[in-house]
Amino acid sequence: MTLVLAIDTATEECAVGIGEWDGAAMTVLGETNLDVPRSALTHVVPAIDRLLKDCGARIDRVGAVVCGRGPGSFTGVRIGVATAKGIASGLAVPLYGVGTLDAVARRFADHDTLVGVVGDAMRKEVYPALFRCSRGRVERLGGYEVTLPAVAAARWAETAAGEAILLAGNGLAKYEDVFITALGERARVAPRDDWTPTGASLLLQAYAGASAPEGAGPEAGSGDPATLLPIYTRLSDAEEAERAHCGEGLPASGVSGPGGGRS
Amino acid sequence: MTTCVRPMRASDLDAVVAIERATFPTPWTRGIFIGELLQGESRRWTVVTSPTGILGYSGSMQAGDESHVMNLAVRADARGSGLGAAMLADLMSDAARRGVARMTLEVRPSNASAIALYEAAGFHAAGERPGYYSDTGEPALIMWTDELDSKGMRERIRELSERGLRSISKRAGSAVSPAGGPRRALVLAIESSCDETAASVVRGGHEVLSSVVASQVDFHSRFGGVVPEIASRKHTEAIVGVVDQALTDAGVGLGDLDAIGVTYGPGLVGALVVGVAYAKGLALATGLPLVGVNHLEGHLFANNLADPTVEPPLVALIVSGGHTSLVHVPAWGIYHTLGSTLDDAAGEAFDKVAKLLGLGYPGGPAISSLAKMGDPAAIAFPRAMINSGDYDFSLSGLKTAVLTYVDRERKAGREIHAPDLAASFQAAVIDVQVFKAVRAAEEFGVTMFCLAGGVAANPALRDALRVALAAHGVRLSVPPFELCTDNAAMIAAAANFRFLRGERLGLDAEAVPDLSLS
Repeated sequence: MTLVLAIDTATEECAVGIGEWDGAAMTVLGETNLDVPRSALTHVVPAIDRLLKDCGARIDRVGAVVCGRGPGSFTGVRIGVATAKGIASGLAVPLYGVGTLDAVARRFADHDTLVGVVGDAMRKEVYPALFRCSRGRVERLGGYEVTLPAVAAARWAETAAGEAILLAGNGLAKYEDVFITALGERARVAPRDDWTPTGASLLLQAYAGASAPEGAGPEAGSGDPATLLPIYTRLSDAEEAERAHCGEGLPASGVSGPGGGRS
Repeated sequence: MTTCVRPMRASDLDAVVAIERATFPTPWTRGIFIGELLQGESRRWTVVTSPTGILGYSGSMQAGDESHVMNLAVRADARGSGLGAAMLADLMSDAARRGVARMTLEVRPSNASAIALYEAAGFHAAGERPGYYSDTGEPALIMWTDELDSKGMRERIRELSERGLRSISKRAGSAVSPAGGPRRALVLAIESSCDETAASVVRGGHEVLSSVVASQVDFHSRFGGVVPEIASRKHTEAIVGVVDQALTDAGVGLGDLDAIGVTYGPGLVGALVVGVAYAKGLALATGLPLVGVNHLEGHLFANNLADPTVEPPLVALIVSGGHTSLVHVPAWGIYHTLGSTLDDAAGEAFDKVAKLLGLGYPGGPAISSLAKMGDPAAIAFPRAMINSGDYDFSLSGLKTAVLTYVDRERKAGREIHAPDLAASFQAAVIDVQVFKAVRAAEEFGVTMFCLAGGVAANPALRDALRVALAAHGVRLSVPPFELCTDNAAMIAAAANFRFLRGERLGLDAEAVPDLSLS
């Protein structure tokens, strides 16, 4: 039996879960999901502390940590990832990652449908990810990316023609109309309360179909707290600007060289 | 509460006499105190200071192989905090240091709280002095304690002073700690306020067991400055490895630590957040106390870390890529920012001028080495705010003047003499800083001046300050290069100070990007 702690702060929701993994199945012992936009740093550690007490568990009994890697708010993801790294390092236990969008899709694992998760990427863009959910299984049908809502919506409209897509994700708060317009009658919108990851969905997604210990989820990684990284999908603004700048003045050789073409 | 113990001076007597009068029915007069202060070596008189003035005082007299407690009083609003116990422990450890084995005092039999304190410190009643107190005719209870140098007594003094340490700090002079001071705390500190991910293990605030700095400069240099988002990403990537390395280098495990210190401001918010989140996670997992450190206080402590004789009162100039301020430090923990830059930080100005000259990033070392070959008087750049009458700085005007000069010369088809330009620019920066530094040292009457921050690595600034301050009898302290630039050893030193004062950062703490030094 391994006591597992899961956290995600990539969205405005601060999600914390505690579960027990018996080598074959994950039992969720408790979860806390707080709507605390832009203040995850304040809330996440006290929330963990409280939930442990509520579950009658002690931090030094935790045998593995799971954290949401995004994509999401850059700072938000880093708060969760850095906190989880500190906890896992301090306990000397493995740290496993889980995709934040995957953990949202996990909430619909028992539906038999396509699930389109639209993460808010700010600056008029979204992190879209399409999943096939069926009888407790969640399969992501592509990689992570950042793009315009209309581009993502149009692409989904061409996918699996005729099939309904259940929409979720915090990006819908701004772009629900875009997706409904593109998908028409195929669009189903999940209740707003189901748009973000939860403590339970993180635990279940991280250990989905797992044959522990290595096999914890597709995003699990090696379990080394030092090597786990957030999923960003885009470079910093400075690097993006540099790329755009160099793109305009592409050298004849077609090679921009190290340092984005400038030394 | 910010407090400090130091020897009593004549200028303290207004406050001391006021406490004396409020405490005792038959108070000592000012003349008695003056007489005591003139006695020299045989006496030990100290005061506990705080931002609200003097909180208490104590004194003892050595007579042969005995020591007499002469007086001990705590201001009414500061009682019950362990201050009296700490002051008594100070007198006892001072006596032990002098090789004195026995200590005695007189106390009113009706003063139960004082008697309880003395008994806790190992004093026992040994007789009475009849009619000692003239106001009531009460006898004095004579109390003695023996074997001050015994192991058991040392232990008792240590306990007593630790109880007091919860409310008072022991920095100035040789207060409580030396004879039977608290065990030297082992502190792990984490620093991520700008573009260096750093961790360090320091014992007792001075013994650096490890100091690891992962610089990101190569990832920022092509942008001519620190890119906050890149800094935050690199911190996230590096933090576990850097902390593990610091523990390995120090040869300690998390279980050996007494506290975790972390920089929680000022700095880049996204960068600070990574260190604070990680440190909170580590503190939750290990149960270790978490101590928040102001990055600028860390820079000040770098001086004391490098040289323990550097003690307040002092004035410090903090100059780096993000900061330029003059700070008066009457005691550790008390900081009066006298002035700051109104626009660019000094390091920022060096970077911008270096960029203009095509010297790359960071600009400080490049300008500094180029300036060595140039004439600092070649171009008359403005000495901004040198006559402003305050301690503020402005560097953006100078930067504009350099820009204008370069434009004009280029338009006129004249070649820029880069070494002259670098030397003249650097001289303009240094002149103003030295002028204000000397004025501040004079105004506050200090004999110690500290240079702190990355720009302290600039040799021309160090030399100019050293010469100018020496002319006024002021000593300049400059930490070695690796303690001037951002590092976690200085954060550990400051964390040790805060830890001993009982200060803790809550698990709900935020990063504070504009945290001020106060």
